[in-house]
Amino acid sequence: MAQTPGSEARTGLKLISPTAVYVILLLAVPLATVLIYSVLTGGRGNVSLPVTIENYSELWAKSVYGYIMVKSLMVALVVTAITVVLAYPVAYFVSFHVKPERKSLWLFLITIPFWTSYIIRVSLWFVILGYGGILDSLLGTIGLPPLNVASHSILSIIIVLAHAYAPFAVLPIFVSLEKVDRSLLEAGQDLGESRWVTFLRVTLPLSMPGVIAAALIVFIPTVGDYVTPELVGDGKEPMIANLIETQLLKLQNFPQGSAFAVASMLMVGIVSVAFVLWNRRFIGGQK
Amino acid sequence: MTFSADRPTMIEFKDVHKYYGDYHALRGINGTIKAGEFFSLLGPSGCGKTTLLRTIAGFEDISSGVIMIDGKDMANVAANVRPTNMVFQSYAIFPNMSVEENVGFGLRKDPRSKEDKAKAVAEALEMVGLKGFGKRAAHALSGGQRQRVALARALILKPKVLLLDEPLSALDKKMREHMQVELIKLQRQVGITFILVTHDQEEALVMSDRIAVMFEGEIAQLADPETLYRRPNSKKVADFIGTMNFIPAQVLSETGDTLEIDAKGLGRVTIDASMAPPARGESPVVGLRPETLTLLYDGQTATERETEGIIDEVIYFGDMTYYDVYLGGTDVEVRLSMRNVPGRPVLDVGTKVRVAWSPSALVLFR
Ligand SMILES: Nc1ncnc2c1ncn2[C@@H]1O[C@H](COP(=O)(O)OP(=O)(O)O)[C@@H](O)[C@H]1O
Ligand SMILES: [Mg+2]
Repeated sequence: MAQTPGSEARTGLKLISPTAVYVILLLAVPLATVLIYSVLTGGRGNVSLPVTIENYSELWAKSVYGYIMVKSLMVALVVTAITVVLAYPVAYFVSFHVKPERKSLWLFLITIPFWTSYIIRVSLWFVILGYGGILDSLLGTIGLPPLNVASHSILSIIIVLAHAYAPFAVLPIFVSLEKVDRSLLEAGQDLGESRWVTFLRVTLPLSMPGVIAAALIVFIPTVGDYVTPELVGDGKEPMIANLIETQLLKLQNFPQGSAFAVASMLMVGIVSVAFVLWNRRFIGGQK
Repeated sequence: MTFSADRPTMIEFKDVHKYYGDYHALRGINGTIKAGEFFSLLGPSGCGKTTLLRTIAGFEDISSGVIMIDGKDMANVAANVRPTNMVFQSYAIFPNMSVEENVGFGLRKDPRSKEDKAKAVAEALEMVGLKGFGKRAAHALSGGQRQRVALARALILKPKVLLLDEPLSALDKKMREHMQVELIKLQRQVGITFILVTHDQEEALVMSDRIAVMFEGEIAQLADPETLYRRPNSKKVADFIGTMNFIPAQVLSETGDTLEIDAKGLGRVTIDASMAPPARGESPVVGLRPETLTLLYDGQTATERETEGIIDEVIYFGDMTYYDVYLGGTDVEVRLSMRNVPGRPVLDVGTKVRVAWSPSALVLFR
């Protein structure tokens, strides 16, 4: 009570210091390192002056890099769209049609796929989608030719990623649906709209913050996913992360790898900001 | 109170029952609501008022019985096509929309031009006293303003029936009294049948043409406010509406038109048969409203009957004083209310007094 504003501020600083140290050491320092590396001159295994933008112009110079960047972006956007579209009905069902006392059980069940390691899940997808796999055998029994989905690398990367991130997308959508005041839905019907139109005019806009949060949660890590293209696509369809890995670990060209990393971060940043701005439209009116 | 009973029927309930699982929430609702009437559903919390209102709106299916609105059976009519609109207890204002978007929500399928709809929205806002509020964000409104938006949003659709679920309970006393008057005026202006749910008996008396008093899923009495107040049909209704003194009594004799009774502390008295609602097999009591009893000051005489008493308690309200008085040397205590006017001192506890009363004000419950 007898604290001056100054001592209060000091207490505040003390309280946040563990977090601050964490943020500085584990986020700011690596980020700064990558940024600095990206404008230095690289050789095999060494980094030196002078400062240059060569690493960035390399991105433009070789069309394969641009192709990989755009491909990663597209794959991530498609995965995000599929995931959110699949997760929404699940979240809606749990929020609107499951008894309140059962909801947490349902959410718990949805996380079960996470109990197995990602590697195992990816291998299982191989068993399902691969040549002579479960999907093709099933198609065979009804007289259809095999699809051999696994041979289409990008398609299988998308399927595996969408499956992996679906539970992450369910949660934010579920939370935003839980916050929708149920009497608003009755009001929508009372004012002459069917259930479906009420959903489109009331429930969906009110749950958009959750949808956009889900989209970000899926989009950000999938852009930079390294494991899936490596395992599922057999490395035949590299994404940004694989590109960075090649530069940093195989070629040991740290500045070039850093420049790719920065470019990818910028891309993610721009898309995320677009999502957030779009979100403002929906949360603008709400408390 | 000049409501004409010969208006056409707007809503008719025929033996309506509603079960929530095993719980019997509505237990045989019968009655009619007239077109253009300000009708209230009054009763204690949990008696089924909201449930009944929601069955009219179509948000709740009934277990058995019939609900007719404007001559049509509502059995298979969904909420969104019923000729009713609701002002929700929480107001249910769409938080992501502006005031005018809220008010115009129900006009999507309206064939009028965009300009005409905008005009209708502006008119509706003006009607509820929110002129110029159209562009405001709905979430930035006060409780009273949200309620007006909810009213405008419903009335713009010109429903046959407007349903209001405890619309004033969230407002403070001043605002509530103000809105009561506004709602009455609004109802007269638009001529739509209003059905108001309330647990506040004063509010129901002030606002309604007729009131259905509900207890435990049943309508106990359906009448105009004056009948409810002066001739409640049961002790329970009498007790729920206003204050009523209950005095043990005996029925001495009964002819077709009158009853001879002996009320403790009041003595023998003849009352009209219309003041004795049908017997329910309870031990007889007579009811007397506090304002029908008057203290007599020196030199005053009663126009009808008088009884001696002793003041036991004095409750001073400024404009009024309530006295609790033991009647005629008995243990029967009644409460009476006197206006405080100049030249009429407030009396002390223990004062011997004479109490004037009128046999025509007595109601017999048995
Ligand atoms: N959806 C429901 N499920 C089970 N019981 C309910 C439901 N809605 C209301 N009830 C019960 O029905 C009774 C009447 O409720 P309600 O109509 O809301 O009362 P009121 O509006 O008169 O306070 C209450 O006992 C309440 O608990
Ligand atoms: Mg209620």
